[in-house]
Amino acid sequence: MSDRGGTPARRAERLLRCYPAGWRERYGDEFTELLVDDICERPRSWTRTADVMRSGALARFTAAGLTGRALAPEQQMRAGLAWLGGALVAFLVTGIALWSQLTVGWQWSAPDAPATRVAMLVMSAAVLGLLVLALLSAIPLAWTLIARREERRRTRPLALATVGAVVFVLGSIHFGHGWPGTGGHPWADRGLVPGPIARFGWAATLWVTSYWAHPGALSSFPAAEIAWMVVSPIALLASAGGVAKTLRRTRLSPRVLRYQLWLGGAAAVAMAAFLAGAGSWVVSGGPAPRELFRVGTIDAAGLAVMSAALVLAFRAVGRTLTAAARSGTER
Amino acid sequence: MTDEPNALATLGRYAGPATLILSSLAGGTKHGYALSKDIEEFAEVRVAPGTLYEALSRLERQGLIEPVESHDRRRPYRLTGAGASVLRAHLDAQRRVAEVGLGRLAAGPGTA
Repeated sequence: MSDRGGTPARRAERLLRCYPAGWRERYGDEFTELLVDDICERPRSWTRTADVMRSGALARFTAAGLTGRALAPEQQMRAGLAWLGGALVAFLVTGIALWSQLTVGWQWSAPDAPATRVAMLVMSAAVLGLLVLALLSAIPLAWTLIARREERRRTRPLALATVGAVVFVLGSIHFGHGWPGTGGHPWADRGLVPGPIARFGWAATLWVTSYWAHPGALSSFPAAEIAWMVVSPIALLASAGGVAKTLRRTRLSPRVLRYQLWLGGAAAVAMAAFLAGAGSWVVSGGPAPRELFRVGTIDAAGLAVMSAALVLAFRAVGRTLTAAARSGTER
Repeated sequence: MTDEPNALATLGRYAGPATLILSSLAGGTKHGYALSKDIEEFAEVRVAPGTLYEALSRLERQGLIEPVESHDRRRPYRLTGAGASVLRAHLDAQRRVAEVGLGRLAAGPGTA
């Protein structure tokens, strides 16, 4: 980012965007004036740009609850819930990718190893639990969005979230038709997980693959599928980012925040159960029959990512709980 | 807000800019740009805008400075009572260090 070009006021406003909304609200006007004066005195200064960018990033980290500074309880609760949401998305993407590979294997034949069977049951139950929690979480949030529709500056992030979600869902349904678990066999859909759900999960996480490290093998894929492997994570990120930005611009009541915290705690427990199931398969599960349940490097890497996401989720829940307790005592 | 005389020490790496800002405000109310020019004049140090406002917001949070009502977009700040005593204690400590250091330099061969 450079502050060169344009009038001093315009350049100052561009630099101000480095800071989070709350900071801009409090210091925006006076800081812009200082920047305008500074730009008039020294029209070109890379050190000023670098200093403002560094300071803005620090203010953003602080607002996200990532520095040691204690935030206001409500702000800390929102930051904690945002981190929990981010950890959950990372966990789900990795976990569903791993789980959907096993659903393909089970469609062809049930696993021989009891550890793999138990793992699949636990993981499937955890996925179901997380879906229910996501639904329970979305209802009051959607209600708040509708009730406070007069709040401004939400149109763009909402549009981004909607477009991202539509592309992601439609693409996953479309590319799910190439699911290796169906394969046109007469006994398709006999597996542990209903076919439509399993193939959606498979297509949605098709991009989580070690094929990226093997361009030769990847190039043999149909062009449309490779395009989907590029587009789907972008659509997912756009959708998650749009939702996060929309919620950041929406006032949530303390009651809704506490309810979300309660669901977040339950989600962290479901994540732990899923991870235990996945770990059981990776550590003690077998590949039989017909190598359908063989553990690969990508699965071990997935386990590492999920573990990191789980630690982050529990830390976020802990910090949010502390903030909720502070908010209770300060009231 | 704090009344601790050593509150400046808790600012860590912001203690430098904070001392400069408090010293500048000890001479009267000033807004951001006036602060930056005054500091440049008496300390020959240029505090960049981002660093200046990082320190200003911390000092305000600690109750060592406070904004003054203004109709202008340039909001001035002034030193609070707590800020004045923190600055006095900090500068006294610095003066003691300076006196010891200068005294020892004058007294003996402290160089290699």
